[in-house]
Amino acid sequence: MAAPMVNFYFQLIAFAFLHQCTGTSPEEFFKSGHTNNWAVLVDTSRFWFNYRHVANVLSIYRSCKRLGIPDSRIILMVADDMACNPRNPRPATVFNNANNQINVYGDDVEVDYRGYEVTVENFIRVLTGRLPPSTPRSKRLLSDEHSNVLVYMTGHGGDGFLKFQDAEEISNVELADAFEQMWQKRRYHEVFFMIDTCQAESMFQKFYSPNILAVASSKVGEDSLSHHVDPSIGVYVIDRYTYYALEFLETVTPGSKKTMGQFLEVCPKYQCISTVAKRTDLFRRDVNKVLLTDFFGSVRNVELLPDSIHLQNATLHTHSEDSSDVKSDKPLSYAQQFPMPV
Amino acid sequence: MFHFQFTTVWNVSIDKPESFQHYHLFPKSLGDVLTTYKVKELHLSQTQGLWKHEKWGYPPEDAPPGDELWVWFQPHSGVDQTWADLVNALSGLFCASLNFMDSKSTVQPRWSFRPAGLASEFYSANSRFVRYSTLPREVVCTENLTPWKKLLPCGSKIGLASLLNSVKIYDGFYHSLGVHVRSVCQDTQCLTPATELKQTLTVVYDPTTNKNGKQDWSFQSMFDRTLQSQCPLADTRKIYVDVTTQETLPKFSLSPVPDFVLNQKRSGEERKIAVYQIGNHLSPSSLNLKAMYEEKLTFSNSSLPPVYANRFVTGYGLERGGVTCMIYNTMSSNTTVIFMETVPWFLRVYFSSLRIENDGKEIKPYKINFIPAKDRANPYQMELVFRLFANSVTKITYSFERAFLKWTEYPPDANHGFYVSSAVVSTVLPVASQYTATSQSVSLLEESFSDSSSSFFLRLHTETLLVSLPTPDFSMPYNVICLACTVVAIAFGSLHNLTTRDFTASDPSKRKGLVAKLKSFFKKEKESPENKPDSKEEEIPSQKDKDNSKSEEKDSKKKDGNSET
Repeated sequence: MAAPMVNFYFQLIAFAFLHQCTGTSPEEFFKSGHTNNWAVLVDTSRFWFNYRHVANVLSIYRSCKRLGIPDSRIILMVADDMACNPRNPRPATVFNNANNQINVYGDDVEVDYRGYEVTVENFIRVLTGRLPPSTPRSKRLLSDEHSNVLVYMTGHGGDGFLKFQDAEEISNVELADAFEQMWQKRRYHEVFFMIDTCQAESMFQKFYSPNILAVASSKVGEDSLSHHVDPSIGVYVIDRYTYYALEFLETVTPGSKKTMGQFLEVCPKYQCISTVAKRTDLFRRDVNKVLLTDFFGSVRNVELLPDSIHLQNATLHTHSEDSSDVKSDKPLSYAQQFPMPV
Repeated sequence: MFHFQFTTVWNVSIDKPESFQHYHLFPKSLGDVLTTYKVKELHLSQTQGLWKHEKWGYPPEDAPPGDELWVWFQPHSGVDQTWADLVNALSGLFCASLNFMDSKSTVQPRWSFRPAGLASEFYSANSRFVRYSTLPREVVCTENLTPWKKLLPCGSKIGLASLLNSVKIYDGFYHSLGVHVRSVCQDTQCLTPATELKQTLTVVYDPTTNKNGKQDWSFQSMFDRTLQSQCPLADTRKIYVDVTTQETLPKFSLSPVPDFVLNQKRSGEERKIAVYQIGNHLSPSSLNLKAMYEEKLTFSNSSLPPVYANRFVTGYGLERGGVTCMIYNTMSSNTTVIFMETVPWFLRVYFSSLRIENDGKEIKPYKINFIPAKDRANPYQMELVFRLFANSVTKITYSFERAFLKWTEYPPDANHGFYVSSAVVSTVLPVASQYTATSQSVSLLEESFSDSSSSFFLRLHTETLLVSLPTPDFSMPYNVICLACTVVAIAFGSLHNLTTRDFTASDPSKRKGLVAKLKSFFKKEKESPENKPDSKEEEIPSQKDKDNSKSEEKDSKKKDGNSET
């Protein structure tokens, strides 16, 4: 009798204490409307001279991980291997800077789609969720209607298309339709679409689904330019837009109050040379009031229940089958490895 | 060479999935995959680099370049579907493109890959439940090391795994990750099976690089880290160093001094192993194992291993070719060998051209298992059992014809070529010379130091081959469109102009300047109602004028013609 009373009082005190601690009401907690974050990061270029595209996507991957999105919520697609490429003078590293400031490849990286698996078909299947049943969890985008999804694409593009691995291309119409499929199947709450290619604006011009915020590194008719060459590698190391975006993101901490409005102003024309284009008409909220961590970081919202729940003792009884049941009458033997007469 | 081995033995039987419930040291992610897909034994290796048998002897686990996966399943129906699902699940678990191991590259080896653990004779003789596949093209990088490290009970933060610095490991000549799951005996009576998970990492460095020939090495120089802790969950935490040559050339000394030195005695080979118990060396500071050599590196003739092999492509052109494999036997006794090859379907092997020769004499194999390929479905599978004579070289040759692939079947970098997986040579050695693998009945390295058996099972992998297929010019459509459109524009356009335009002559004498043109323009407007009577009058003029005008027309036509072109 006493125990449930104590329980109740404890709960009440705890709830009151917590309420005073946080200083926020439950409404504020759920203001943004999303409960989990996903990221789909795609690099579509192959070959050593496209080193910068791999560095681009790994920079964003690094920022996402640092700000809290776990590997299980990130789908990373890298079309070629730069870090362990025989041409890389510093194996297992991908730097975004010729001065080797940040190893964006890092020590804890999980690539979900690598090499030949990065195709238009796989990308659309990941977005829409129409994957074969044997696909493992780490390769699936298991988002729901409360997920904020960050989609980042980089590679070679043109007016209305993005080239995948020098062999195929995805058009802006296909991409818009894929997002519409996601919307109709309630696979996202809000999407932030970032693209760093030549004529990148054309890729988001055909979007028609709600709640999509898009930014591109160049307008139609302009080329996105790369930042600088690393003489020891011999190729361009990173693209301009992503370089300045990474610089901005490095100053962000998980508790930061920086807004998406500030992020959309990153890389003005004198730094990027191309004009950064953005699309905010489909997005319902005001970008200057949206936190950057709504898309790049990971929100773990906790719902407080004022009443207590009784849990059954879920530990199994000692399972009836002991290992003694497996005892065989005859001793087991190892298989003969070389089945031919010696 | 550094060889890391992390062995976990769990006293449950893999044959009973219900017993795989309370996970403690065995990783749950791997255990779930094993029980869901009814796996009895699993062997996965991910390697980059080629192991040079002639120079380095035999590794503890031999692995081909790329990824190799062979699995024995519990007896059930529909093994093909289970294999397809398993490779997908493993590709997610190990961040490798194992999902490309489909029926086009999977074989069922009949004699070469018998179970490495406990299995009944009836079961292991049946190759229905085994699947073998390789991906020679696969790259191994930190993204494969990360999930491998996450399977370890202590993770990568403490213990020996904390030495694994990816930047240094991938800088070596050869590195190989391995995951091996099999059934072993729980005790000496062996009435109940246990499941053993062995995770191995073999790395080969050259310590003399950048050091001007000095071959000193230490943990700090090889891994950029020292050993600062030991895993409290492990029963045995040891480091073994081979000091057989410590007193002879090259002389070296170890620091700190090893705890004791064991003698490893196996038939034909005696080695001295220095043993370190990690716990004794962690205080006061971390363990930085150092070997200091007195002299610089000198090259000398090392003894060749008993059996080794080389394989290469022969022929020229893009129509035909051949493959030759040379197997060397440096022992003074004959030995039987099983040679297994998997050739992709697009290299059409002529079985009639298969020859095994020893010093010019043809050798007839005892047994042949040859399963021809089915286009786009199965690869060629070849297993040969024959005798290797003492101190000789045996040459296996066959020729093939290259097939045309459909243009959608080429990979995005089609001009790189196509890989052929390594051949597998299995044999039993009577002497353990340069043999470092653990024997079948034990789990730990130390347990196989005093091995009284006289037969040592050896598995070798040869090089992979890179073959070019007749590749279409993928820039052709773009070039053809440009060329065709240019031709059409010039030729057809000109013809069209010539045939559809109406040519009128202009009198060169009537050519006027600008002012006169303006005047005539205003004049035309005035004279328009009077045109008809004027034209009639113009028709009457004398023939001379007509002739003149005709000749003028011809001249003007010519001139017009010139201006056209």
